[in-house]
Amino acid sequence: MRETMRRRTQIATVLCMLAAGMTALVVPAVAAPGERYLHVNVEDPTKGEKVNVNVTLSMAEKVLPAINNHGLHDGKVSIHNAQMNGVDVRALLDAVRTAPDNEFVTVKDNDSDVRVAKANGNIIVHVIDKKNKEQKVDVTVPLAVVDALFSTAKNDELDIAAALRALSDAGDVLLVTVQDSTEKVRVWVDSRNTQD
Amino acid sequence: MILLAKIALGIAGVGLASAGVLCSEGVVNVKVVEKQPQGFHIHVVAPAMLAPIAMHFAPHRDLAKAAREIQPYMPAIRAALDGMRDSDDVMFVEVKEPGEHVEVAKSGGSIVVDVDDAGATVHVSTPIRAISSTIDQLAAASSNSL
Repeated sequence: MRETMRRRTQIATVLCMLAAGMTALVVPAVAAPGERYLHVNVEDPTKGEKVNVNVTLSMAEKVLPAINNHGLHDGKVSIHNAQMNGVDVRALLDAVRTAPDNEFVTVKDNDSDVRVAKANGNIIVHVIDKKNKEQKVDVTVPLAVVDALFSTAKNDELDIAAALRALSDAGDVLLVTVQDSTEKVRVWVDSRNTQD
Repeated sequence: MILLAKIALGIAGVGLASAGVLCSEGVVNVKVVEKQPQGFHIHVVAPAMLAPIAMHFAPHRDLAKAAREIQPYMPAIRAALDGMRDSDDVMFVEVKEPGEHVEVAKSGGSIVVDVDDAGATVHVSTPIRAISSTIDQLAAASSNSL
């Protein structure tokens, strides 16, 4: 009888230790809220200058709707119809979304090379400005973010707050790189609070 | 003798409790060190709770003017402070130039600004709660002046 009691106590002790171990493994994963960061990095090695900006997307989501200035209001920015030149952007986006991965636009002339493509759920734009210090611009925007940007009821508005929310849900992504002979600019989103 | 000890204990208790209340919003830490042979060296550590209290003693006319000017930006400031309070510790801005280094970060519930240039090093640390309280006082000054 005493032997059985001792064995049960030992089993209970082992189970308790297992439960404690599992809790220790699981709790940090649950406690970490999965904060997402928007990073901006500007470097000019010729002048030894460097600027780093790190902003949590959740903070940007909170601050943006509070700014009502110029064209920005309630997290949305007004754009003039004239800037669309009569193009139905929503129909265009719908066509792009349903199309397979492809290169949609390629323009090459003496001044610049421009390429617009869709790949892996992203809209990708490459521009090489041959006149401006061989400046190269690469923009990668997840389609979900573009959709969110145009998710407002009004045609002349872009929903920046919704785009930020969509960006939070998107994976790590290098959004923009600009590089010329002296400067390099990078804008990206990940879950690290530093740029190291 | 026992009565004296009790009085001393009471005074010490009140002092400790007062210090605890004063420091409940953290402390403001300002450190300035001039990089000269006989440059000044300032280090101030003050309870952050003094900042909103000090607002009561500021001249009403000047306070109302400042409050009116800051009013359009109040929603954005409040949202930013709320966002900062909820976020993890992070380096918001870092600027490096030859001979100059500026950092603005959130660290342990405080906004910390560090500047290191050829002339001096400056370190300012202010609890976000104290900034919020001071901003609220300023907003109240605006509504009182209406």
